[in-house]
Parts: sequence; structure tokens; C-alpha cells
Amino acid sequence: MASRSNTGVLGLQRRNSLKNYFRKPENILLVVLGILLTLATIVPIVSIIADTISVHPGSIDARKAKGATWTFFNWKDLFRGNLRYKNFWIPFRNTMSLAVATCVVALSYGGVFAYLITRSNMAIKKYLSAIFVFPYIMPQWTLAVVWQNLFNSRQVTGGSDGLLATLLGIYLPEWWCKGLFPSALVLGFHYAAFAYILIGGIFKNMDANLEEAASILNASKSKIFFRITLPLVKPAMISTILLVFSSAMGSYPVPHYLGYTTLSTKYVGMSVNRAGQASILAVIMMLCGVLILLVNQRSMSGRKNYTTVTGKSGQSSLVNLGRLGRHVIAAIFVVLTFVTSIFPILSFTVETFLPNPGDYSFLSTGNFSNLTTKWWVTNENLSENGMYGQLGILYNSTIWNAFKGTVFVSLVAALLAGTIGLLVGYAVSKKRRSRFAAYVNSIAFLPYLMPALAVGVSFFVIGNQLGIYNTYLLVIIAGTIKYIPFASRSSLNSMMQISAEIEEAAVIQGIPWRKRMLRILIPIQKAAILSGFLLPFMTAIRELTLFMLLCTQNKLLTTLLDYFDEMGLYAFSSGINLILIVFIIICNSVVNRLTGASLDNGIGGN
Amino acid sequence: MHIRKQALAFGISAAMLGLVFAPQVQRIQAEDSVEAIIAEAEQMSTEELYKKAIEESRGQIMYGVGNSSRGATAASKFIETLQAIDPSYDGSIEWSQPKNNSIFKIIEADVQSNNHINSMTLIQDGNQIQSKMLDTGYLLNFIPKEFKEGEGVLVEGNDKPLALQTLVKVFMFNNQGEKQFKNCWDFVAEGESPMFMGVDSEPVGKNFLYMLTREDYAKMLREAFEQLPEEKQAYFQTVIDEVEADVEELGLEAADAKYALAWIRLWCEQYNEQTDDGPICNNLVDKSAVDESALIVYSKLRSVEESDSASVNHVTIAAYQDDYQGIGGYAYKHYLQVLKTSPLPWTACAFITFMTTSPEGFEAWGKDMGGYSANPACNQDHSQDGYVDGEDKFPAKNDRGGDWWLSPEKGKIVVEDPGYCAEVSEVMAEWIDGYAAR
Repeated sequence: MASRSNTGVLGLQRRNSLKNYFRKPENILLVVLGILLTLATIVPIVSIIADTISVHPGSIDARKAKGATWTFFNWKDLFRGNLRYKNFWIPFRNTMSLAVATCVVALSYGGVFAYLITRSNMAIKKYLSAIFVFPYIMPQWTLAVVWQNLFNSRQVTGGSDGLLATLLGIYLPEWWCKGLFPSALVLGFHYAAFAYILIGGIFKNMDANLEEAASILNASKSKIFFRITLPLVKPAMISTILLVFSSAMGSYPVPHYLGYTTLSTKYVGMSVNRAGQASILAVIMMLCGVLILLVNQRSMSGRKNYTTVTGKSGQSSLVNLGRLGRHVIAAIFVVLTFVTSIFPILSFTVETFLPNPGDYSFLSTGNFSNLTTKWWVTNENLSENGMYGQLGILYNSTIWNAFKGTVFVSLVAALLAGTIGLLVGYAVSKKRRSRFAAYVNSIAFLPYLMPALAVGVSFFVIGNQLGIYNTYLLVIIAGTIKYIPFASRSSLNSMMQISAEIEEAAVIQGIPWRKRMLRILIPIQKAAILSGFLLPFMTAIRELTLFMLLCTQNKLLTTLLDYFDEMGLYAFSSGINLILIVFIIICNSVVNRLTGASLDNGIGGN
Repeated sequence: MHIRKQALAFGISAAMLGLVFAPQVQRIQAEDSVEAIIAEAEQMSTEELYKKAIEESRGQIMYGVGNSSRGATAASKFIETLQAIDPSYDGSIEWSQPKNNSIFKIIEADVQSNNHINSMTLIQDGNQIQSKMLDTGYLLNFIPKEFKEGEGVLVEGNDKPLALQTLVKVFMFNNQGEKQFKNCWDFVAEGESPMFMGVDSEPVGKNFLYMLTREDYAKMLREAFEQLPEEKQAYFQTVIDEVEADVEELGLEAADAKYALAWIRLWCEQYNEQTDDGPICNNLVDKSAVDESALIVYSKLRSVEESDSASVNHVTIAAYQDDYQGIGGYAYKHYLQVLKTSPLPWTACAFITFMTTSPEGFEAWGKDMGGYSANPACNQDHSQDGYVDGEDKFPAKNDRGGDWWLSPEKGKIVVEDPGYCAEVSEVMAEWIDGYAAR
């Protein structure tokens, strides 16, 4: 009888403590989000692992499995089969080379630029800051297509001559036109914006007193840079490396267009006959993502060493580049950004007026009557007019429907990712010492470090199983999960800055949680939280790798753009690019006007 | 109280079982009814079928998925035809064109889901259709009565699976230089890199390579080889000798299989992989693409706009040269199939009938050269497409027609056979992958 009553008391205590636990909104959020994010992240991973041992009708494993439902043939064949070098080791080596080389380009280009913008007296900073992020706004492979049009030649790459060979008779070597070098350079320019934003943010807020103190102690300039400045930006550099590494690893279109075989391009190539082995490639990319997450966490814990950055110094310390130097260096960046940002836009514009895709004969002959407006204004279906059965961009319902689809998907995914990320950030910041909070934070961040193609593949597999393949629902789910880290990071950082006393005062006043969030916490950190919505939106608009396996090409503007690029209909793809760029710039400036948030916000843009 | 609990448990269990098995039962019923409808539709006249379609899809949308975007044009004409029979008809067709290989995933996902969307498909790649769609039973074949009984229709080879059209990819080269391509072996000669879509991104290209190992096509390659001058023969002979041992290892039965394997190996090692036939055509017609060659869809030439640097006249169709020896290219087919879970099977059958038996139904494809219906009533004459104001300005555009291309004596096109491809792909796929360009 006594033991029964003890058990009853214990049960009551447990119930009460559980009741108390769930009385706090942050605990409810943590549990709900923990379960939701675990399911949304782990289930696709499990399905893709299962896919590696499943038998696929019509695939090589079906022939080898001889009627069985499961087989390890794919694992054996990929690592020990006759084609192991071609199908795995060479693409793997190439992927690593590409990721490392991209990091080098992005870090050196973006890092130097960030330093010059924030810590020097370089001229025309505002213009350069705004133009520098343009390659990030554009879909990444568009620069690859521009590269092809510029440098390809009959002598080196086969086919017809590109612009440089036609106009100047310059034939660049194959390593310049195809393979690792152009792929790393294009991706590096694209992701240099990461380095600029992350490293620039640290440079901007760095306490100049540290460098000044060293200077007073007669330390040389190089010593100050390597012993003080560089260690202070080391965490941002590590973050940049990890982000760029995982993004470059999962990039499909750039190596695809520039003829470089990576795990991503191999995945697409192998999915016809070796679907199970292609899934193994995706699993390997995911494992790399997990490895990057672990490295990231170690580097985060190491950041405690740099907590000497306590706030802004009252004095600004700009490196003087000299009267001439500040203009010369600015001029170099004007040229570089012209090549990476302005020239592609000019090239897209001109392309939409060429008689045939890539036909720049008006430049070599000076005959401007070769130019045409047909790609814009044709409003009847005339295949003999060189339109490949398409209507002009202005009348092409396929393009405009895809545009609507893209805006819809980006808006919904950004709203969901932004909201979930905000809640993750809030709950984690409230329970920052809890292990479960750390887990939720990590699981929410994991998809960001996973290569986009690997995440796309896992949702492709699960989308097939659920019968939601080729629906906006699947695209939105994948986009939401992938982009939650954007919001959760900015939300966590901003929530950490808010003193707990503010919310506690509201709690004492009896103000409900919903009102505390909407009336107090969110308004205080409005700009940072909004950027958690803006970044997913901007990224989803020009995303291809993540979405390309989830829907048909007509559903989204980027998949349609890639389709036209593959078909060689550069006028349409260029037109779509222009639409995307203009739309993103409009969105960015509207949000910037309304809230103060923007892509290069707070570094050099404002 | 106890009984009530038991009854409740029983009720819940029954409901759960119902939830689990009801969709399965519904699916089986749907499959049965689609098969039965197809069997019935095959006995019907076109008129009767159109009436059934009007009845079935009034106020509804039929979804179709296809490798050709022109399905949308044909769909609009089909709706107009139904509206001409019944002006109150308000059904419509939504057509989607997935890229490359994803059509197989779309169909698989559609059939396996509980919410079936697509009713029919226009699909290419005989090998995958056979192994992924027909062997699994996802797609059902429907042969329209009027097609089967139509005058002059080439039923054999075009009925199972039902072919909408045969498309030709032909060898062509830029003629602005001195180089001559008079034999199909010239395209794999030392230093040549013909532009071609990757065999993994467009698997019909791989089917072409599979087909070359068949008795008749291997013989064509041997005969073309024998026409080569001695020094060229000597160059290729080394490769032919090298692959001879593979013939037995791969279990190929054709007497001249070693010629096929040698040609395939050289092709795979040398071709210049491009993303699509569109960019290949844009490159090839440019005057700077001197001596470049390619194997692409013939109809791509239709879209070239004459300019200072681009012209159709910069290109020669290899097989149109009088003294050309060997295969002229290859042909693959667009097949029309009904999904076994088709929500609107009558309408699907009627639409398929429209495309395969009437000139209006085939017009979307028939208006251009290089695509041929098995039904002569549907084909248009393109033998003078290169004429402008009565003058033969662009000879490369004068299509000699399906009969010419498909003839083993004239065009010598290699035609895709799904059964043969599926059979040899088992052994040939890995062999080809070992040599493929990337």
C-alpha cells in the first residue's frame, strides 16, 4: 500500500515537473521544433540511405539482384567495380579540388575586398560594395555560360569561335576554358560575397584600440596584421571556408557547363542506369556536410578565445592607401567588378537581340541590321522564324508562369523558414546552456552545410515515396528546411543581444508570450530578423541545384533558365536572367528602404 | 461496458484497416478499368471514341506529360476538334514537358501515389520504356483502330509500343573547310571530335550505340569499313583487333560485332559532349566552325536565322552526298502510352488517336522536317523546304523523307528497337561507360 502511494507521489511529481516544463513557451518550442526538424532532416537522409540498397527497375542493380528487394551490389560496385575510378574516385578528387580552390578564390577576393572597404580609405566604396554582391544575386552558372561564350574557340574546345577568338583572334588554352580553373573562379566570384559579408562584418565592428595599442608598442604593420587583425577575423574566415566549401561541393551547374566532373555532375549522369550508386554519391556528400558541421562546432567553441571584441571603438582606424593608391586600387576593383558583374548583364542584354544564339556577327561586320527584337516581341508560334517554337519573352506564358511559381515558392519558403528560424533562435537563446537546445540549433543548421544537391536528392527520394514529386509543396518543404539556418542564425545572434530582463519585466506585467514576441522582442531586432526572411527569399529566387531534381523545368524560373541554357537558347535564358536580376534588385531596395536590411547591409553599402 | 470497449476497438481496427487497404483496392480497380477501357477503345471508331472522351472529360482537365513540348500544340487542336463535335464541350488539357530523364520518375511517382494526375504520356527512350515502364506495367499500350487498319500504315515496329513518330539524328559537318566526310568511319578518324549530346544526359544516344551491335547494323559498318582507303583501314584495324576479344566476353552474336565495338569505342572516346542539339547546331552553322562535325536532330536546321556568320549552307548532310558510305545517323521514336492509373482513359485514348491518325493531330511535329509518322496520311512533304521563291537556296533543308532515311540502301539510319536495346544494355552499358567521354 505504501509503495503504491510512493509511486503515486512520484508520478504526481513527474507530472508537475512536466507541467512546469511545458509552461514555458521556449520549452514547448524546443520540443516541437526538435521533433519537427529531426523528422524533416533525418527522414530524408534515412530514405536516401535506404535507396542505396533498394533495387531500381531498369537499373543495373535490378539485373544483378535477380528478383531480390534489397542488395548491397551498389556499394560493392561503386567502390570495387571496374568503373570505380570513373564513377567515384575521380569525381570525388575533383569535388575536393573544386571546393578547396573555390575557397581560396572566394576568401582572397572577398576577404581583401572586405578589408579594403572597411579598413582603408579606398575610393568609391559605396558603389563597389553594391556592385560586389551582384554575382551572388545572379544564378551561379550564368557566369559560366558567359565564360563559355567569351573564351571557347574552335581550335581549343571545338564548335565555333567565341567572342574573344572572333574579335581579337585570341585562343586561350583548354585549362582556361574548361575544367577546374574556370569552375573554381566562377564559383569563387559567386561566393566571394559570403567572405565579404562575414569578414567585412567583423572588420567593421573590430575594436581599433587593439591595433593602436600594438602600434604604440612599435609593432610593425605586418606584425599587427598577422598577430592581431588576422586572428580576430579567423572565426569569420573559418565560417566562410565552411560555407563556401559545402556550397561549392554541391554545385551542379557550374562544373556541368564548364566540363568538370564532380560528384554532383556524376550523380545526374548516373541516375539513369545506376540510380542506387548515384544515391551513394549523395550520401557521401551528406557525410561531408556532417563533417563540416563538426568542424564548425569545434571552431565555434574555439571562438571563446576571441571575446576581446567588446564593441565599437570610438576611434576609426582606416589604413591610408595614399592619394594615388586609393584611386588605383579602386580602379582595379572597378575593372574586376565590371568583369564579374557589369559585363554579364551587358552580355545578357545583347544576347536577347542576336539573330542566332551566340551569333555576334554584328560586332565583327559592323552590320547592326543583324540585330533583332524577335526574342522579345514575337507573338505567334513560327518555328521557321528561328524561335524554336517559342513565343517572345514578353508573350511567353511559360516564362511568366515560371516567374509566378518562383515568386510563390520563394515567398512561402522564406516565410516558413524565417518564422521557424526565428522561433529556433528565440528558444535556443532562452535555453542556451541546455544540451537539447544545442541539439536543436545544430539540427536546424545541418541542412545549410549539406551540399544543395544532396539535400535535393533526399527530398527527391522522399517526394517520390509520398507522391508529391513535381509539386510546389515539395519544393517549398525542401527550400524551407535548407534555408532555416539563414533565419535561425540571424535570429539567434539578435536574440542573444537582448537582455533577459526586458522579457522578464514583461512577464511580471502578465503580458502573454505572443504579445511579448510581437510587441517587444521582434520590433527591437527588426532589421536582423527581417534579414532572416530576406536571405531565404533572395536565395530561393535564384536557386537551381536544390530544386532541379524536385520539379519539371516549367515550374520555376531557374529550372526554365537552365533548360534554355542547355538547349542553347541563350536569348531566353539571358532574358530570364535580366528578369531575375531586376526583380532581386527591386526587392532588395524595397526591403532596404522599408527596414534597413539588405545584402551588404552595414558593411559598405550603407 | 466491456462489450462497448470491444466494439469500439473493433470499429477503430476496421477503420484503420479500411484506411490502409482502401487506396490499394481503389488502385487495383482503377488499373482494371483502364485496361478494360483500352481494350474497348481499340475496337471503336474515331468518332465513337471522341464522343466517349467528350462525355468523360467535360469540365475537366486532362494532364499529359511528354518529352516534346509540341504536345501542348496538339492538345489545343484536339480540344478544338472535340468542340467542333460538341460546342458545349469545356474540357482542357494541361501539358508538361519534364527535362531529360525525369519523365520516368514522374510517371512512377504518379502511378504509385494515391492521387493520380497524368492520364497519358509522349515518351522517348525505348530501352528505359521497356525496362522501367512496360516491364513494370506502369504504362499501357493502346493501338487506335484507324491506325491499325489505316492504308499504308507501317504497323509493324510502330505498334508495340505505339509510336507517334520516328525522329532522325543525322551526321552533318561544316563545309567551310577542305575536309571531306564521305564515310561514317570518317567521323571517328584520328583527331575528329564530333559534337554530340552526352549519352548519359540523352540516353537515346546510348540506344544508338547498342543498336550498332545488331547483325544488320554491324554489317553496315563492316561494309563501310571495306570501302575505306587502305591507310585508313590500317588505322582502324588496330582498334578492331583490340576489341575482338570483347565480342565473345560480352556475348554478342553478330558476325561483324567487332566493327561495331571498334566504332563505338572510338566514338565514345572522341565525341565532344554538348548539353543539347540546339547549341551544337548554333556552333556548326557558324562560319568559324570549319571542318567541325556533329550528330544531331535534323530538324534543328529549321531554326537557323541567316546572318553574316550563320547559315544553313555552311552545313552538309553527310548522307546526302552521292558517294557517302555507311550509316547516315540514327532514329529514335516518340511513343504514346496510357498510364495504368489514368484518371481520364477515354480522353487519353481519343487524344492518342487524334495524333496518330489525323494530319491536324500530327501537324505540330509534321510541319518540320526530320520527324515521320508511321501513318502516311499524317506526313507532310518537306522535300523542298530549302527552296525560296522557287529557287533551291538551302539544299540541306530539303528532307528526303522517312522512306529514304529508313531505307537500308539509302539513308541507312540505325533505328531504335526497345527490345534489342533492353536485351544488350545489360552487357553493353558498362562497356560503353568505360569509354564514354567524361
